[in-house]
Amino acid sequence: MAAKKHGDRPVLESVYSVIALVFVLVACAELCGAATVVDVYRLIQYDISGVPFGSRLAGLNHHALSLHFPPGADLSRAVLVIPVRDLNLSYVKDYLSERQPLGGLLFLLPQIFNFESKESSGDGEELFKNIVMELEQLLIHTNIPYPVYFAFENDDINTVLADIKRNDVSGQPATATTGGYKLVVSTTEPKKVASPVMSNIQGWLPGLKADGDPNQLPTIAIVASYDTFGAAPALSVGTDSNGSGVVALLEIARLFSLLYSNPKTRGRYNLLFGLTSGGPYNYNGTHKWLRSFDQRLRETIDYAICLNSIGSWNNELWIHVSKPPENAYIKQAFEGLSNVGEELGIKVGLKHKKINISNSRVAWEHEQFSRHRITAATLSEISTAPGLFENTGSLADSRNFVNEDAVIKSVKLIAESLARHIYGHRGKNIQIFADEGSLAVNPSYIRSWLDLLSRTARVAPFLSKNDPFVMALKKELEEHTEEVILQNEVLDGIFTFYDSTKATLNIYQVASVTFDLLLLLVLGSYLIVLFSFLVITTRGLDDLISLFRRPPSRKVKTA
Amino acid sequence: MTVFHFFNCAILTFGPHAVYYSATPLSEYDTLGTSVKAALVYLGTALVKLVCLATFLKVSENESFDPYQELLKALIGFIDVAGLYFALTQLTHRNISQNHKFQAVGLGWAFADSVLHRLAPLWVGARGLEFTWDYILQGLEANANLVFSISLAALGSLMWLRKNKPKTLIPIIYACAGIVATMPSITSYLRRGLGWHFPKVVGFELFTSLAMAFISWQLFSACQRPSA
Repeated sequence: MAAKKHGDRPVLESVYSVIALVFVLVACAELCGAATVVDVYRLIQYDISGVPFGSRLAGLNHHALSLHFPPGADLSRAVLVIPVRDLNLSYVKDYLSERQPLGGLLFLLPQIFNFESKESSGDGEELFKNIVMELEQLLIHTNIPYPVYFAFENDDINTVLADIKRNDVSGQPATATTGGYKLVVSTTEPKKVASPVMSNIQGWLPGLKADGDPNQLPTIAIVASYDTFGAAPALSVGTDSNGSGVVALLEIARLFSLLYSNPKTRGRYNLLFGLTSGGPYNYNGTHKWLRSFDQRLRETIDYAICLNSIGSWNNELWIHVSKPPENAYIKQAFEGLSNVGEELGIKVGLKHKKINISNSRVAWEHEQFSRHRITAATLSEISTAPGLFENTGSLADSRNFVNEDAVIKSVKLIAESLARHIYGHRGKNIQIFADEGSLAVNPSYIRSWLDLLSRTARVAPFLSKNDPFVMALKKELEEHTEEVILQNEVLDGIFTFYDSTKATLNIYQVASVTFDLLLLLVLGSYLIVLFSFLVITTRGLDDLISLFRRPPSRKVKTA
Repeated sequence: MTVFHFFNCAILTFGPHAVYYSATPLSEYDTLGTSVKAALVYLGTALVKLVCLATFLKVSENESFDPYQELLKALIGFIDVAGLYFALTQLTHRNISQNHKFQAVGLGWAFADSVLHRLAPLWVGARGLEFTWDYILQGLEANANLVFSISLAALGSLMWLRKNKPKTLIPIIYACAGIVATMPSITSYLRRGLGWHFPKVVGFELFTSLAMAFISWQLFSACQRPSA
């Protein structure tokens, strides 16, 4: 008895292990692949003081429909696949404003907006750019209760879309009972980003202090905000807004560090370079950065130049100010810039916009400086003040819309006028940063930084505290300036952001339930036919008949 | 819905075996034990084949047809025939007639083949959302395989169990047995060398299986006449 128990144990254990193996097999049987797998990017989801905007859901599990769907199709359990090429913006606008129920939206963008693709630009880009920008502005400011995703066109998706269109036109939309394509995005529900961090980077180039001079040297600040905001945070590269400003700032820092490295050519001004974050959110980062200045530094700043979008202009730039143009510093700066501009063939205009302190909207970076009582101006190609989340680096702001010559000319303009002011050569026709000299503007430096910026999405809430790009900017500033300080601040409470910006979309081709029912019928009849055939050939026809006639024959016998 | 599809494909792959067992006199004579033993012999044969394949074959990078490799695979395929010989002759069966013995052995052989080769892909693949025709075609292939196994078992029993055969038929019997035994090599040549698609290959298999079954049935009844 005991021996048998001991013998049973290993048998039992092996049985248990077999059962466990079976369970493991059952569990991991969901590893089947889809026909097509595509990277998709979600529309941004955010709240302003609790008011929701953007796409509020992330998970998707519905059938796909194209724009040619038959009337009467159930849209609340379907995903509309819309290529941006065929986009009818008023239709989408009506759909969103009427709050019609929909399972999801998938926008297909042309490959030219894909910073990872190596395709050269094609025709009709300007047209697409405007359409995409308008679509973005529409989507950002609407509360959409279903998932909205962006994807790039490629061959797989195009064939799938053509198939869907064919099915829809023939009047058979995809649902559970008919076949078709099913789009599945399986991600977790989006959560709030806990404390979105804004990182401001500042670099300091000290000027030459004369011996025995007790006074502090005056300072000139050059500032650019480097972060972006767009409809798809994972795709918001903002090459022009404000990648061009960042590149110009870095190049100016490089040129002046060359000048300042030699004590004989060091100017009597300190230079403060600032790369600020939080630009789209009323320049919140700049506000916090300025608040952290101590009083002495604030008093020594003569004026600040803010750079915003200087990468795609032809021959006209604007200086935006909030202090009246009669102010001495503003007058000086503007005259300096316009004189140099004349020499370079650039028309520089002046625009004055008063600040309204009660209005919390800050349209330009210099307005934050003005609120902190520092004279400042913004140099930009944009002529009118942008609204909330306009010109903040949209989807359409890709590398091929930025002209590096424009950036080079801007750098020359700013550097020359600054240098003439610092070294006291105002009004004189001297070219400090001449093209063939050792202080020439370096086009390949500008090109490589523009390329890098056009491939990095820089939406501040989604940049972590030690994000590699921010560290790279800091390191670059450290090469050109001394005393680089990285300051981390939390984004102001009225903006809340939600994560889940990138996902993978699985496209399955599913067969309908009716197909399987039909198949069951066919198989059932096949097996019955096989059965009858085998009975007839091996046992004879009588046997088959007797299978069905047994009860009556028994009755005959008993009778 | 997709479990439904799995159920359908499972019926197609394994149903005919059950139907064959219940429809023919095999169920009356309770030959289940023979089939089970044949299935176990198939398992052993498959293991031996695996070891030989692993030892002797090189893994090719592309899907092309390499004659030397295919020849090696065909030679290893003859281990199948050896296994069938073992199952037919060496195992002790209850007193059942030769007619039913080869059917039971063929049935067990084909059932084990289907389970080993087709159950796992079916379980993992047919339950997913994505629909392909592959699993239905695999089921049809299982059907063709059943017919092949029974034909091979019939020819095998003719070759090894029947002592008095008409002299003229002997070479035909061996030739047919050879063709059926090398079917796997032929299908892989069609798929890789000629580049046929799966549905075409399955169609070819079904057609040849029916043809072979007919021929072996004729041979079997021809050999049966003298003793009758």
